[in-house]
Amino acid sequence: MRSKNSVFIAGVVFTILLWLSGCGANSTTVANVQPTSTADSVQVQFKEQDYQRPEVCEPCHQRQYDELRSSVKSGYRNVSPLFNGLEFSSNLLAGGLLRPVYSDSTIVLPDGTPLNSNMFTTPVLTETRQVQAGFCFTCHNAHVERMGNNPNTREVPQLAGLGANFDPTQLRPLRDYHLVDANGNQILPAQIGGYPPAGSLPSLGAAGITCDFCHNVTGPDLNRSFQLDGFANMSLEVGESVEKTGPFLQPVAVKGNFHVATNDQSRIDFLRSGAFCNACHDVRVPNNNLTAEEHNMNPGGQSVEYYRLENLSTEWQKGAYNSTSNPFGKVIRCQDCHMSLFPFAGNTSYTVGDLNITSPTPAVFPQNYAAVPGVATDNNAPLPKRQVVTHYFAGVDVPLLSSQELKDRLGSDYPDPYQPGTDEYGLPLALATRRQALMDAAVRISLAKTDTTASVGGTLDVRLEAVALSGHRFPAGFSQERTAYVKLTVTDDNGFTLYQSGYVVDKPHPQTGEMAPDGNLDDEDLEHVEAVVDPGHFTSPYVPGAGTNGHRNLVFESGPDNGPDSRVFSGIPEGLVLFRNELMRVFLPGDTLGRTDANGNQTVASTAHFEETFSASFANSVDNYRSLQPLVPREYDYEIELPTQAELAEIGVTLKSPLHVHAQVNFEHFPPLFLRFLTAATGPNGPTGHDVHLLNESVIDDYLKNVEDIASDDFTVTLQ
Amino acid sequence: MIKQIKTAALLTLVLLATGVVWAQTTTTYTPGEFQSSNPFYPKPNPFYFEGKIDWNLLGITNPANTWDYLQRGIHKQDDLGDTAGAIQDYQTSYSMNNLSNNTCQIVTSASFVNGALPSVLTPPPCMFTVRLRLAHLLQPTNPDQAISLLKEVTQIDPLRLDVNALIGEVYIQKAKADTDPTQQQSDYTQAISFLQAELALSPVTSVVVAQTGDTANNAHVHWDLAEIYEALGNAALEKQELNSYLAATQWHSDTYPWRIALAQERLQTLKARQ
Repeated sequence: MRSKNSVFIAGVVFTILLWLSGCGANSTTVANVQPTSTADSVQVQFKEQDYQRPEVCEPCHQRQYDELRSSVKSGYRNVSPLFNGLEFSSNLLAGGLLRPVYSDSTIVLPDGTPLNSNMFTTPVLTETRQVQAGFCFTCHNAHVERMGNNPNTREVPQLAGLGANFDPTQLRPLRDYHLVDANGNQILPAQIGGYPPAGSLPSLGAAGITCDFCHNVTGPDLNRSFQLDGFANMSLEVGESVEKTGPFLQPVAVKGNFHVATNDQSRIDFLRSGAFCNACHDVRVPNNNLTAEEHNMNPGGQSVEYYRLENLSTEWQKGAYNSTSNPFGKVIRCQDCHMSLFPFAGNTSYTVGDLNITSPTPAVFPQNYAAVPGVATDNNAPLPKRQVVTHYFAGVDVPLLSSQELKDRLGSDYPDPYQPGTDEYGLPLALATRRQALMDAAVRISLAKTDTTASVGGTLDVRLEAVALSGHRFPAGFSQERTAYVKLTVTDDNGFTLYQSGYVVDKPHPQTGEMAPDGNLDDEDLEHVEAVVDPGHFTSPYVPGAGTNGHRNLVFESGPDNGPDSRVFSGIPEGLVLFRNELMRVFLPGDTLGRTDANGNQTVASTAHFEETFSASFANSVDNYRSLQPLVPREYDYEIELPTQAELAEIGVTLKSPLHVHAQVNFEHFPPLFLRFLTAATGPNGPTGHDVHLLNESVIDDYLKNVEDIASDDFTVTLQ
Repeated sequence: MIKQIKTAALLTLVLLATGVVWAQTTTTYTPGEFQSSNPFYPKPNPFYFEGKIDWNLLGITNPANTWDYLQRGIHKQDDLGDTAGAIQDYQTSYSMNNLSNNTCQIVTSASFVNGALPSVLTPPPCMFTVRLRLAHLLQPTNPDQAISLLKEVTQIDPLRLDVNALIGEVYIQKAKADTDPTQQQSDYTQAISFLQAELALSPVTSVVVAQTGDTANNAHVHWDLAEIYEALGNAALEKQELNSYLAATQWHSDTYPWRIALAQERLQTLKARQ
């Protein structure tokens, strides 16, 4: 046991050291802090501060505000018809269990445990229902969810009935709740899912991930992550005080002490680390994974099993960019690509395997003021120019909303995702342009190992090498929907097509009312599989589950370009090369597949049946390895049968040498069939029985914009 | 005295520094430390992960079970081009996941315990990937064993798409190599039977037509059937299958788009013969 004297001496020495390191200096400049000391440490209790709207930060941090405003995570994400549709349709399947509950909830779990906390406010997650409560909402709006414990600041209400008592007809999309009037009082669209009422303004929740949220983070909340490691579940500790975490020590004092910049080095280090992103960029769905056992490691929480939907942070954590064994010789953090001048700050050339690569250089940051000189400090105290980050957070999405609707939902100053011009660093102002550039930097391909000669009636072996240059796998994030693929053609010198893969065909889509081809190819699915996902239908009384709420495949057929499954399961070198990961449903004996045989009888599994599903909430298995691993080239072969001389003679074609092989990587942020499922599930014939106005064929046609040719290669084959 | 003070101060600093180091080692947060068990190596629950995981992520030094051998076989086949090595590993994997020696089971309702699927099955579930991959590699040299393996897959999962078509294609290969006309006829008949079984798994129902506008599907199956009927000299059925092929490609084209023109040409020829 330590003596009182030694404790006292240690405390004095520690206090002196803190003073020398600057903490004392900071605490004396800010009048509104309340330092308390104990024998072992000094705990500083800063004044509580409500979450601030980004506009409050704008005068002193105009540049950061403008940058963040045009990122999808600030605003768009929460009014996105896709996010809203996904959350909505998952609730239709689950009987509303994914909506948040709050501290005044009277729900009692079957084992007698009260359910009065949600994914973010539950100190230690021990029940699946706690993880489900606010599952999607938590990462998109954690602070707003926490504020919901106070009924006066609650944006998203708790549902009146859950499970079998859930009423789908009264379910509103989350974005309905993100509107306020001029006095800050919540107003709702008159019609469920309707357009924002005239004069409505965005709520705090509409702003999504705000300045205040990230800069309030104090560290990981290990107890709320399933493996006690700060991954997934929004497992962050958030301090709700005037003490904000910035990227450096000893910043100039803030005007009027509006906030205090922390001098806690651990908080600063965490903000600057890739670990900061782990809490939301791994997403672990509390569904049993029948092909990989993983469960909550928290004491008492072992019954919570999960599968990895988004695995991005784990991929980075275990990958080459989280080491010095990469082309740049240093750890490349998330911030180095998504908060820097990347990919607009020059290139680096290097070799990966036998591939010679030139790609944009990460971790190049601008020099600038961290706050607006003359505005942000008392007495016009001078500000130094420092290395700063950008807040664009470039990603793979572009909004599926019109510019006008974005403004109507998020404020009249909301930037156009396709706006012209550049910022002070020369970076494009348009989110869409930044997305294009980011994608262009993500992958490289080579056809160099392809056969150099081929014969009529023989086999041409095309060998394609692909390598991801991203810090995580490519594609990543919601990687079971993010669709990157190889479009490959083999033509003769006259342009006659001998083989095609990764092609799309303009066709009708009766499910969503497109009865004839519309001339648009961006809204077409690839031809490896023909699938229509059941959107469900209205029934009364409501019954949870897929029986009437859809999510199973109503149509599921192999297509002519079936490469993904035949390559993976059968090892057959032909067909589509698809880098999209795959959600799967293992149907158990006795399960109905959701479609009928030729006689109209329900198809029932007699044994275990594995099938691709396009619904994350219906999946009970996932293959996250179809995407490309960073910096590890993978070869894909195509054994292409060339027509015989007799076949060519039948159609009157004479091939002209040489043959031309062209390969390019294309990207679509969501497969159209997935959007059409959400359109139908949230439409008038879906389980609610009315349209909630999130998606329709016109939205898909107008705003689903694919990125083509993000990497390409060509090869010439002599025809013998 | 001064020396004593200096010594005490130094000692204090050393102790303090030691304390700081101790504090850091006990509280330092290492992201991902709990994933040290390798998040990329799935533990069956109760099904094996059917698919391919990048070999370098698995950390398998020496394969120890059926799934390890399968993964190494995939690595050899896909990444190294080592077909012989892959076959050897698949065969080892198959021997450890085999109905005949009771090292695997087909999961049916009889596998349930108290009406539910247990998290551990003894023996474990039969895998389809190893059978499909081994069948593909054995097809050129040992088509009968390939067919046997593929038929096992249809037992493991009778609703799995493409497997019946693969069996049909092996029978076509056999028929083309047959010198005995009776055997050839038999193999073609078998091929037809399995190709039709494939079509039956995704019937063109009224729902399909309403949802997609398709009046036919499985273009490659219809192409194969048309070629069989051409070989058998059955013009009526050849014509039927060519029409189905064209209907199936109407909204989906083909990886070999010249076949569409060829089908049209052959239909014209058949019509002219009538």
